[in-house]
Amino acid sequence: MIPMEYFLVLAAILFVIGAYGVLTKHNAIVVLMCIELMLNAANINFVTFAAYNYDIAGQAFVIMSISVAAAEVAVGIAILLNAYKLRKTTELDDAQLSTMRW
Amino acid sequence: MIAEYTWLVPFIPMMCFLIIGIIGRKTPEKGGYIAIAGALVSFLIAVAITVEYLGSDAYANGQAIESSIRWFDIGGYTINLGYYVDGLTCVMMLFSSFISTLIFIYSLGYMHDQGERKNRYYAEVSLFLTGMLGLIVSSNFLELFIFWEVMGLCSYLLIGFWSFRHDLGDAASANAASAAKKAFLVTRMGDVCLMGGLFIMLNLFHSLDYASMFESAEAVAAANPGLMTLGLCLIFGGVIGKSAQFPLHDWLPDAMAGPTTVSSLIHAATMVKAGVYLVARAFPLYVQDADVMLFVAIIGGLTAFIAATMALNNMNIKKVLAYSTVSQLGYMILSLGAGGYLWALGYEELGVLGFFAGCFHMVNHAFFKALLFMGSGSVIHGCGTEDMRLMGGLFKKMKITATTMLFGCLSIAGIPIFSGFWSKDLVIDTAMNAFNNGVDGAAIWFLVLWLLAVITAFMTAFYMFRMWFMTFMGEPRENAQHCHGESPKTMTTPLIILAVFALISGLFMFFGLDQMLAFEGEAIDGPEHALELFTNPFTYLTIVLAVLGIGIAYMMYVKKTINPGKFNKEGESWLYKALTMRWWFPDLYNQISWKFGYGVAKGVNYVDRQIVDGTVNGLSSAVVGGGDVMSKVQTGHVQDYSSVVLIGVSALSVLVIITFALLGGM
Repeated sequence: MIPMEYFLVLAAILFVIGAYGVLTKHNAIVVLMCIELMLNAANINFVTFAAYNYDIAGQAFVIMSISVAAAEVAVGIAILLNAYKLRKTTELDDAQLSTMRW
Repeated sequence: MIAEYTWLVPFIPMMCFLIIGIIGRKTPEKGGYIAIAGALVSFLIAVAITVEYLGSDAYANGQAIESSIRWFDIGGYTINLGYYVDGLTCVMMLFSSFISTLIFIYSLGYMHDQGERKNRYYAEVSLFLTGMLGLIVSSNFLELFIFWEVMGLCSYLLIGFWSFRHDLGDAASANAASAAKKAFLVTRMGDVCLMGGLFIMLNLFHSLDYASMFESAEAVAAANPGLMTLGLCLIFGGVIGKSAQFPLHDWLPDAMAGPTTVSSLIHAATMVKAGVYLVARAFPLYVQDADVMLFVAIIGGLTAFIAATMALNNMNIKKVLAYSTVSQLGYMILSLGAGGYLWALGYEELGVLGFFAGCFHMVNHAFFKALLFMGSGSVIHGCGTEDMRLMGGLFKKMKITATTMLFGCLSIAGIPIFSGFWSKDLVIDTAMNAFNNGVDGAAIWFLVLWLLAVITAFMTAFYMFRMWFMTFMGEPRENAQHCHGESPKTMTTPLIILAVFALISGLFMFFGLDQMLAFEGEAIDGPEHALELFTNPFTYLTIVLAVLGIGIAYMMYVKKTINPGKFNKEGESWLYKALTMRWWFPDLYNQISWKFGYGVAKGVNYVDRQIVDGTVNGLSSAVVGGGDVMSKVQTGHVQDYSSVVLIGVSALSVLVIITFALLGGM
């Protein structure tokens, strides 16, 4: 049997890669993709614990999580599309988008 | 029982103050007659009270008639309001209301051409009289302190009566507004001390009522000698301020900027007498401590001497009189101090003699000083100047003024039969007694004080007659030439009445005043002591010195056989300048107030602005600045926010793991 740690380390690596992408990438689409990476890292953890603990609840949560993530990405891309229509760009450090504060 | 209505004595002048203040403008002389009537009624009530008190059992037993109502409670202390009538109260009430009445009558003439401002004048002098009479009949120290302050206020208002006159410069001696401020602030120094003293007394006695304090004075003084000494010294600080004693004496000469009638009121009937009265009133407390009494006597003796020296070469007729007042007040304080010292050592009869001499001199001084001031007012009224160098030869033009003033001068110089002789020689006698019976160092002090007192007697005779000769004798100079003759009757009548009193008031001690001014039931035998004066060689010494002083003044200023310029190198000598500069006391005051007072003020200002305000401002600017700095965190970049979240979560996770690891969990 493959040890549990392998899955957890994989999930951790995926999560960190995703987090790195979210924090550093300038393109909003890449950021969204990275968010998907982080979500899937969490999903792997869920599945892993579910398998090793013989608990079906973990897998049920993953199904739930995937569907919510799909919906979230749909909304996110819709917003991005609108922003692109207005600004003709999907760069996150666009002057007008990033001065939306105070 | 007329004594039950003692409260009317200060109440009537107070009503006059209100009436004159409100409707005085519409009455003849702008309220002058109302003020006179008020003072006169007060005097008559005082006479009735005195007559009743002298016939009462309390008087026969050497006690006071006293009654109080509760005013308020603070903590465990009860403060009362009431009246306290004993011999001293009666004497004080009588002379101050009587002299005030005469001064108010005199004001009709003197202030006649002051127009609308007379209204203010009469209202204020009535309030002044209220202050003095209230202070006299008070039954406790707090009540006394209130009236004490009322007088402080009135003296400020009246000295600054001509506050719009700035023609002579800004110095206090030349400007009524500055003089008023100076009088107010300098006496304030004393008042703060007095208040501190009263706090200590309240703490020691748990009451400020005379009756209960005097009863327990001995026990309290035995239990808390240190605090008692401090309290008494602080109360005496109030006296130093109010009665213009050394080193706070310098406000009184400057107070001459006010109208002459006000000077007369301040010097004879009210204000400065309040300080002496306070010592006499608190005498049962003071005699508990011989050292304090020695201190009091030293201050008195020094004041008498220093003030007399400054009068020697002054050219202003009113200022000479002002210095003489300070000097005579010094005599009174010296006498009370020496008498109290003797009593504290157990020489009761000699102690009472000192007490009597001090109070007696206060009464006599009230008469002759009121007379002298009103006489000088009459001269000023006639000549339009206060500078004696511009007078001279006025005897022919102002016979009544000159004669009455001569009576005053003879009295203050201490020529036998005139009132000043009796009391002044008793004062000097008391200093001698204190020397004879004092212990160690104190005896030496009293010898020095006795010497100072004797020299002062000589100087007094000299400068008073210098004033009289310069004013009334010799050839008429500038202003005297166009003097328009004698003053009106309203002014000369009070002068004549006072001249009679200056002649006879010394004889009161043969007719009962000695019994009235008793202390704790002990009284001296007036006639006996009066006659004893004539068997005392020192009495003749002072008489000879006084006559010598008059003689020198005569030679210098009438016969011109001695040139005064020879002694002072024509005004160039060091001593002459020192006297003209008043021993540099005004400069000293300035230095103290600028260097010390202003320094303290600057320090306080610094603390207030930098530390108190600084704390508040610093706190608020720290909050605002902190907010400014922290707002920079809000970059608007989603990624910055998310990195903060990530760092936070990571840190939290690490923390949780470390915590679990440390707790040896899992």
